Amino acid sequence: MWRYIVRRLLWVVVVMLVVTSITFLVFFVMPSTDPAVTFAGKNPTEEQIEEVRHNFGLDKPVPVQYVLFIKHVFLGDQYGWPGLGFSYSTRSPVRDQFFGRVIVTVQLAVGAALVWLCIGIPIGIVSAIKRRTLVDRLSMGLALFFVSAPVFWLGLMGLWLFWYKLRISPGTGYVPWGDSFTDWLSHMILPWIVLALLYAAFYARMTRGSMIETMGQDYIRTARVKGLPEWKVILKHGLRSSLTPVVTMIGFDVGALLGGAVITETVFNLQGVGQWAVNSVFQGDLPVILAVTVVVSIAVTLMNLIVDIVYAYLDPRVRYT
Amino acid sequence: MGKRRQRLRLVGLALALALLAAACGGGDEGGEQAQPSAAQRGGVLRTAQTDFGFTNGLDPTGEYLGFAWDVLGAMSRSLMGTKHVADAAGNELFPDLAADMPQISDDGLTYTFKLKPGIKFGPPVNREITSKDVAYAFQRINTASLVAQYGFYYFGVVKGMDGKAKSADQKVEGIETPDDQTIVFHLEKPTGDFLYRVFMAATAPIPQEVAKCFTKAGDYGRYVISSGPYMIQGSDQLDISSCKAMKPISGFDPTKRLALVRNPNYDQGTDNLRSNFVDGIDLAINTNVDDIFNKVEAGQIDSSIYDPPTKPVLQRYLTDQAKKQYLHANQGDRTWYVFMNMTTPPFDDINVRKAANLIMDKAALLQAWGGTTSGEIATHIMPPTLLNNKLGADYNPYATPDNRGDEAKAKEAMKQSKYDSNKDGVCDASQCKNLVMINRNTPPHTDSEPVVASSLAKIGIEVKPRELATSAAYTTIQTVKNNIPIGLNASWGKDYADPYSFAVLFDGRSIIGTGNTNYSLVGITADQAGKLGIKYPSGAQVPNVDTDIDTCQAIPNTEVDKRIDCFVNLDRKVMEQAVPWVPYLWEKKITITAPSVTKYEFDQFSGHISLTQVAVNNNATIS
Repeated sequence: MWRYIVRRLLWVVVVMLVVTSITFLVFFVMPSTDPAVTFAGKNPTEEQIEEVRHNFGLDKPVPVQYVLFIKHVFLGDQYGWPGLGFSYSTRSPVRDQFFGRVIVTVQLAVGAALVWLCIGIPIGIVSAIKRRTLVDRLSMGLALFFVSAPVFWLGLMGLWLFWYKLRISPGTGYVPWGDSFTDWLSHMILPWIVLALLYAAFYARMTRGSMIETMGQDYIRTARVKGLPEWKVILKHGLRSSLTPVVTMIGFDVGALLGGAVITETVFNLQGVGQWAVNSVFQGDLPVILAVTVVVSIAVTLMNLIVDIVYAYLDPRVRYT
Repeated sequence: MGKRRQRLRLVGLALALALLAAACGGGDEGGEQAQPSAAQRGGVLRTAQTDFGFTNGLDPTGEYLGFAWDVLGAMSRSLMGTKHVADAAGNELFPDLAADMPQISDDGLTYTFKLKPGIKFGPPVNREITSKDVAYAFQRINTASLVAQYGFYYFGVVKGMDGKAKSADQKVEGIETPDDQTIVFHLEKPTGDFLYRVFMAATAPIPQEVAKCFTKAGDYGRYVISSGPYMIQGSDQLDISSCKAMKPISGFDPTKRLALVRNPNYDQGTDNLRSNFVDGIDLAINTNVDDIFNKVEAGQIDSSIYDPPTKPVLQRYLTDQAKKQYLHANQGDRTWYVFMNMTTPPFDDINVRKAANLIMDKAALLQAWGGTTSGEIATHIMPPTLLNNKLGADYNPYATPDNRGDEAKAKEAMKQSKYDSNKDGVCDASQCKNLVMINRNTPPHTDSEPVVASSLAKIGIEVKPRELATSAAYTTIQTVKNNIPIGLNASWGKDYADPYSFAVLFDGRSIIGTGNTNYSLVGITADQAGKLGIKYPSGAQVPNVDTDIDTCQAIPNTEVDKRIDCFVNLDRKVMEQAVPWVPYLWEKKITITAPSVTKYEFDQFSGHISLTQVAVNNNATIS
């Protein structure tokens, strides 16, 4: 098992190298904007543009820039470890900004994941057990609605209703939980719910389908024949194996969300990684784009590793060597 | 069931009409400025914007954003200053750090300023400002690695300034500081608007003992030491005992917030340009533009500052009489235009460019921008306020009925062109087809695009719009070898209230390969074109106004009328003999305030709410 984990961790490095080299290629081969021109002023001279290019290190050959970037990620740079460089637009170390923002994104992603699991899985189970009843149809109808509703619309509606009209939400923004736990919680609840509703709907539908299939298996019938109580049959025998696809999904989803839930972050003014990455793409702020790319690639691959380990727990037939 | 469906349809129709009305924008003027009660001291101006977007991290040496100049105007004092108010009064120059107007030599080449005594830097520097601190600001502008973004206003103007100095410690040959209160500038050539140039934020005094630690562009932005009424919160905690000891001032995080508090060393008695009613200014980043305006409406913050309101918000304030008084529309001194590249067919033919001006439905473009609240139709290049209203909208060399475009006149112009071989007034040459037109990918630019495309189609010019993010669109048109024939994404705002800050756009000598801002390439020579890798149009001469610009620029701004008349003639000449643009909008800056703002004022120089002249009646504090 440990050899397997080490091998997978090495793959994380490979994935990161591939993803960042592609990002570099896209940025330099198909540039949407030239940072040196963007940051040289409204009416710059050629010398000024060259000076900015030199300041940003963009005058070095692209492969050299890439090797330097990788070196700094592993060994650190003048701003510390990991070395993520200097943001062109904010003129501050990416590392400091990154840690400030990733905390917000992690809180959003993990909180939303807990909410959608707490909503999605029970609804999926109930729908599967009460198949073709009013409860099932109502749950699946709601799930369809939330799958279809765009997150930005849900967010704006949520704000309009709970902040603007009812005044029971404090509105947008982020308060560190160290400043005030209640303020932190009250600012995060609405974004968690809005982001979770979309995913909860997916998870409810998936859990339902998986449960229906599992509950028709021979070993479920055997469990019932043995006289086990129904709740034990459902939760211990049915749910456990039904959760395998759910675990796969959550690995991908949380991993991807760590790269930022752009729309939710924007609507709720949560200054996380996603919204920062989008702005940086528009501004041609390569160090920030690369930092986010590295983190997302690491997050997705690590989450997949965790998923594979959890598989072994959920399904005793799975063994890693 | 039938009735219910009918009712639903009616509700749907009403909703659609409401949305349509909101989308179309209003044609009404903004409300009169609200001045509900006398201004009072105290409170905090709480405002928010989606992104600071600083061009140089707030470092005054290179910061080139109107909003940043607004902030720096509250934090620093230059030799000259304005009253930070709206309209013509806000463009007038007065001594600020200088004790009086300068002595100017008869040949216009030497300017001598005396500084007011006793003006101090804010904490932690706490010492009196001397002429050497002003000279140091110029030394920073002259330092290559600090990339002064409007250094072109000083290079080749002040003796010894060329932007190539290796260090900010290097003195500028043309600047003398015979004593702590006197500074003398020696110029290379008479520069009529020099007083405006010593008003810009980059020229405000900078303490060398702090700024010497920052040798790269923008690095000083988080350590700016105040010389004005406000300072960054936490400035007093900055440890300046060594470069290593300095940590960014806590009140400024470029991604989250900028908090300004009163500078304890500021003496109101030395300043008759600023009122400084509020105790603090809290500028937060809020990525949700709707939320910013909702918060203003709910009174949670006092004002918008940088972001224009969305169309539904604008509509709400225009149609609700109670709210209308909180909507402020001020002249932004910015011209939006369609540029035409004079080296690229079919726009290498002046008749085509004239036809484009005559066919453009400017009324529809104004509507796409939200109506007269958002601006007025531009009929020439320089906004009238910059020309002391000597050339207003009544000068319109391409006037058409109701500004809707005149097909007959446009076709007459097109007939004169070499691209209309059958002389029917419609371009029939292949060069008029599939012309790439660069645009931004956001409203109101996307709403303007069909208007421009359909207008030009009437005279046979078929454009292929390419919508890009703002910076990508600019990068594309600023690269000369891209040979972009036409673009809808560009605008130009004044840097200071002198027409030269617009004329500089048409200087053929400043055309460069990348980062070029003379998109139409006015004044380009065959030699320049060859070096830049583009074709110079055969059989045509690209109009050149370099000499006219130099002539106007040599007239000092002490001879205001003569100088303005010269630029008026330049504007006319460019519009009639060069025709590089279809100017279509002089934009207004819209600000929405909450009832807590008891005195609203607009800073004509920065183009934003005046931070030193507004008053609020909230009890907020800066935490």
